[in-house]
Amino acid sequence: MMRYVRLLLVQMRISAAAGMAYRADFLLEGLMAITWMGLTLLPLVVLYQGREMVAGWDAPSALIVIAYFMAVRAVLDGVVSPSFVDLVERIRSGAFDYVLLKPVDAQAIVSASRFEPWKIFDLLGALALVIYAFYKKGYAPPIEDIALGVLLFFVGVLAMYSVWILCAAASFWVVRLDNLTYLLGAIFDTARWPVQVFRGLWRWVFTFVIPVAVMTTYPAMALLGRLDAQTALATIGGALGLLVLSRVVWRYAIRSYTSASS
Amino acid sequence: MIRARDLTKHFRVHKRPPGFASAVKSLFHRKYETVKAVDGVSFTIESGERVGFLGPNGAGKTTTLKVLSGLLHPTSGEVEVEGHVPFKRETELLEAITLVMGQKSQLIWDLPPSETYAMNRAVFDVPKDEYDKTLAELTELLDLAPLLDKPTRQLSLGERMKCELAAALLHRPTTLFLDEPTIGLDVAMQVAIRDFVRSYNQKHEATVLLTSHYMDDVVALCPRIIVIDAGKLIHDGDLRQLIKTMDPDKRVSFTLTGVTVSDDDLAKLGTLVTREGQRFSLKVSEDRIPSVVGHLLGTLKAADLAIEDPPLEEILRVMFGQSRTKATSA
Repeated sequence: MMRYVRLLLVQMRISAAAGMAYRADFLLEGLMAITWMGLTLLPLVVLYQGREMVAGWDAPSALIVIAYFMAVRAVLDGVVSPSFVDLVERIRSGAFDYVLLKPVDAQAIVSASRFEPWKIFDLLGALALVIYAFYKKGYAPPIEDIALGVLLFFVGVLAMYSVWILCAAASFWVVRLDNLTYLLGAIFDTARWPVQVFRGLWRWVFTFVIPVAVMTTYPAMALLGRLDAQTALATIGGALGLLVLSRVVWRYAIRSYTSASS
Repeated sequence: MIRARDLTKHFRVHKRPPGFASAVKSLFHRKYETVKAVDGVSFTIESGERVGFLGPNGAGKTTTLKVLSGLLHPTSGEVEVEGHVPFKRETELLEAITLVMGQKSQLIWDLPPSETYAMNRAVFDVPKDEYDKTLAELTELLDLAPLLDKPTRQLSLGERMKCELAAALLHRPTTLFLDEPTIGLDVAMQVAIRDFVRSYNQKHEATVLLTSHYMDDVVALCPRIIVIDAGKLIHDGDLRQLIKTMDPDKRVSFTLTGVTVSDDDLAKLGTLVTREGQRFSLKVSEDRIPSVVGHLLGTLKAADLAIEDPPLEEILRVMFGQSRTKATSA
């Protein structure tokens, strides 16, 4: 276990160092992080102009969903996506051989092989948004809601990570997967809205097929004290189920790795 | 110890003729072909041995190395490396082996090699003092000191290869799979890498299985060679013995100055192999060497005379030709 902790720390340090190897890029990425935060809020401001409620959500509550969206997105853009791009490149070039030659779990190496350290600002921004939203609502959430809200944040990250691992597993069979990640990125964008905004089939898809509701809506409802125990348990169970599924598929996919020729 | 018994590895590859029409057709109806990359190969390599693994392009060398190092599942047959089944990828085995691929890199491109080393230290869980000691030893043997803190992208091919070797050996593996470790390197660097591999093998009693397109690597490093062609083993044994069996004649090279000789005169001494200006190379049977050399030095006043075994390339060319003919007639 200590080996994995040390590995994670070294990977974080190396990614930070690699990020800073190109100074101009580093500054530009930092600036992009701040701009992106502003742009995320824009649709919400437009939507709530002249409206009190949308699908049962007032503006401060919807802001909390956006905060969760920003936080999960920060993990996605800060760790999962860069590591995924790195993995696809390694599989394409055959350098994935070196991952399999290491005496640690290959999934552990590739899941956090690249970090974009400035995404931490997005996480801080998300926290600021939550604080602002409760200030607007005029009350502080009780400790049990905060605890469940934090727990479900990690559950949401786990669900998102599992979907991406399933995608990564596909890259052992289909080498060019860039488009699939764009599609997933676009679908994940819907997580900025409470799932109740969607109706019929779409709500079902976003809850069970690509569980964006698990990633943002349910954690936000937990923090707002509006999530019943049954849904909370189903959310945790669903995310764990997805994690197990992604692990099984990943292990199967590794067996199909044919390694690029010399 | 490395042991392979009836090892086969088949790949199923999609085939289609060139052209747009066949591209469209292949979307709906695909034709597959089974390629036998390794086809029933058996050998045993004892601990501490240095073995050359030879064969033409596509013979199955790299595939075999990948099966031995656990990267690929064999289609059938048994493989054992240091008492483990490689494709199970057990920690104990992965800590005991290494694979160096001349055409692939594990160094992090934008950062100095020392960062990759730090990462490998964490991955292999090497204690700090042991890591420092090994790195100091590798730095000295491979002359790495000026390279450790330079970004990998700024290193020359040879420098990078030396750093790759160090990255692959930081955990002190006892079995080394080296796949073309000297590819693209100049002669001086090839010699440096060769010397290093030999000294590592002697110091740590490590088993070395080497593939190389440079026969000099193999001749200098490996007393034993395994030759495969089209996935099948065609020779396993002592290198010098192979040369003797395949072509017992020696090559006598010399330079003539101020004397002109006709091809007929040379034919009396041996078979002319090459003639470049005044430099000649003759194929001479071993029992005639003393008289031929005496004549060359005494009568013809030959200079720069050298007596050598036939080049391994020539031997292999003949061997591969024979194995193809056998395969066709079968």
